[in-house]
Amino acid sequence: MNKEIYTKPFFLGNPITVLVLGICSSLAVTVQLKGALVMALSVTIVTACSSLILSLLRNTIPTRVRIIVQLVVVAMFVILIDQVLKAFAYDTSKMLSVYIGLIITNCIIMGRIEAFALGNKPWPSFVDGACNGLGYGMILIIVAFFRELLGSGTLFGFQIIPASWYLENGGWYMNNGLMILPPMALILLGCVVWIQRSIQKELQEK
Amino acid sequence: MNTNSNTYTVIYTTILVVIVAAILAFASSALKSRQQANMDLAKMKTIMLAANMGQTPEGNADKKADFMQLYNDHITATCVIDASGNVIEGVDAFKDVDLKTQFNNLKKGLPVQLPVYECTMDDGRKVNIVAMYGAGLWGAIWGYMAVEDDNQTVAGAIFDHASETPGLGAKIAEAPFYTQFRGKKLTDNGEFGSVKVIKGGANGADNGVDAISGATMTSKAVSESLAMWFNAYKAYFTNRTSAPEQPCCDEAECAENTESNE
Amino acid sequence: MEYLNLFVKSVFVDNMIFAFFLGMCSFLAVSKNVKTATGLGLAVIFVLGITLPLNYLLYEYILKPGALAWLNPEYATIDLSFLSYIVFIATIATFTQVVEMFVEKFAPGLYNSLGIFLPLIAVNCAILGGSLFMQERGYANLGEAFTFGIGSGVGWFLAIVAMAAIREKLAYSNIPAGLKGLGISFIITGLMGIAFMSFMGIQLPF
Repeated sequence: MNKEIYTKPFFLGNPITVLVLGICSSLAVTVQLKGALVMALSVTIVTACSSLILSLLRNTIPTRVRIIVQLVVVAMFVILIDQVLKAFAYDTSKMLSVYIGLIITNCIIMGRIEAFALGNKPWPSFVDGACNGLGYGMILIIVAFFRELLGSGTLFGFQIIPASWYLENGGWYMNNGLMILPPMALILLGCVVWIQRSIQKELQEK
Repeated sequence: MNTNSNTYTVIYTTILVVIVAAILAFASSALKSRQQANMDLAKMKTIMLAANMGQTPEGNADKKADFMQLYNDHITATCVIDASGNVIEGVDAFKDVDLKTQFNNLKKGLPVQLPVYECTMDDGRKVNIVAMYGAGLWGAIWGYMAVEDDNQTVAGAIFDHASETPGLGAKIAEAPFYTQFRGKKLTDNGEFGSVKVIKGGANGADNGVDAISGATMTSKAVSESLAMWFNAYKAYFTNRTSAPEQPCCDEAECAENTESNE
Repeated sequence: MEYLNLFVKSVFVDNMIFAFFLGMCSFLAVSKNVKTATGLGLAVIFVLGITLPLNYLLYEYILKPGALAWLNPEYATIDLSFLSYIVFIATIATFTQVVEMFVEKFAPGLYNSLGIFLPLIAVNCAILGGSLFMQERGYANLGEAFTFGIGSGVGWFLAIVAMAAIREKLAYSNIPAGLKGLGISFIITGLMGIAFMSFMGIQLPF
């Protein structure tokens, strides 16, 4: 097993900015860092575990029902996470609502299973799944950091911008309300891609 | 082994589905009681916050407060009433009434079950806490409102939401919005009516509060849901005004209900 | 008239792409030209329009707490809602697979233009998202579920066709190298999302 499997998902093969997978269910959870972090962890656990299981099963799966078998395994992990969150982190689970369920159709999971786990041994598949989940989480957290800081002046719910700076307290500062709105997540993501591709020029499209 | 034959496919999927279902059923039953406890606690918390209990001076939820304790100590009676203000027997306000179902019934004009919680405050005053539920901009919004014994003054209110826009509509769940309701009157042109959320500011009207700027749709949803629920509760409160001594429910039942809440 | 209101709302206000970012993966991958975008868009309308009522029935009569009471009043305490994710996704995956087989066999012409998208749709978050939103918002009857399904599909269709048209024109514009392709697509989707927000207050006069 080479080292690339660990590093690739973070930069040159980042699932969001390079492979364009898994944007669907998650940008709506980047308003606050807390939601983004829980989402990132959940996706990492689901990707890693389902890659592991499906890699173990890879030689026994009937080809005709392949997609359904994959979805069933993924859905099982997602439901487990949902149930655990509801039991131990009720507020967070309320905040993420349907987006936890949507992890099932997060393309990263299916993409990694199809492209890697079904053709590799269990351990590398597990690592590949985990690293891709983390690479995805990294982007979520970058976006959430800026959205929460600029949009609400807080990080993880703690006030970062001093209260005395605000207009209503006689200061000069105002939160950027636009950052809270869903479209800004995409625009920020566009900027992240722009920065990455300006540094790693081999990724640029013609 | 031929992994493409029909028999193999059918057997394989059957076994897989059975295993998965077994794991999930196990997890769900193992975690069920904890999940239910969480949901109950969240509900007790909103009900107590509506009566201004367990709050910091600014009106935020006090992180140290034990809401289950507060609920058990202060909610002295509960009952479920119908739209003409009569008590429905055999239904528990806390456990049996699902606000979402009642909201749908209310919309369609079907018979409804409306929960009322009677809360005895520390100074011995009794307030009636009533519920509301509605559709916000993105998802559900719900809340409770405590009404003083004079049946027209609001003691306190609280709102919560499933997925309103953070920083805009989500502000309905924050103290600066819901504390505005304290002391407002439930009147509408001399008759019983709900408190209104007014865009552009209530200008001190005694039956209106300021809407949240930038969240017109959510503010409107709060106002409309309140109007709808108070319309349903109207009979209950008018009956009480004409017969002030009538308790929320009869004594024996009160005792029973208090027990079942513990 | 309520249906019309719900329809307009799900096309413009609750647009699957611009308000919730659902189905972004296929949205970005297939919006390079208008013709394929139209094909995928139609397939999404079709699948959403069928699977949503199906899942509504399943949820209402099997999964919902107490839903089994119609079989036997003793079953009124059974709550299978924890299985809803898995049942929803299984319905969607099975349905797309069945439709694919039918279309391939009986309408090869249609298959060539539409069929290739069907496997993609099983993992399109917009489809599962539709079912989850239906469950979350508790639509009152089959008609509402169907209207919501078709409406969301049409909204998705509009979004992808508009995006494809813009991207066809983009090929001739002068974009910074790092932004080309993916980056600019994100930003345009974000801007279109802001434009769609102006529909938010829409309310039909009846």
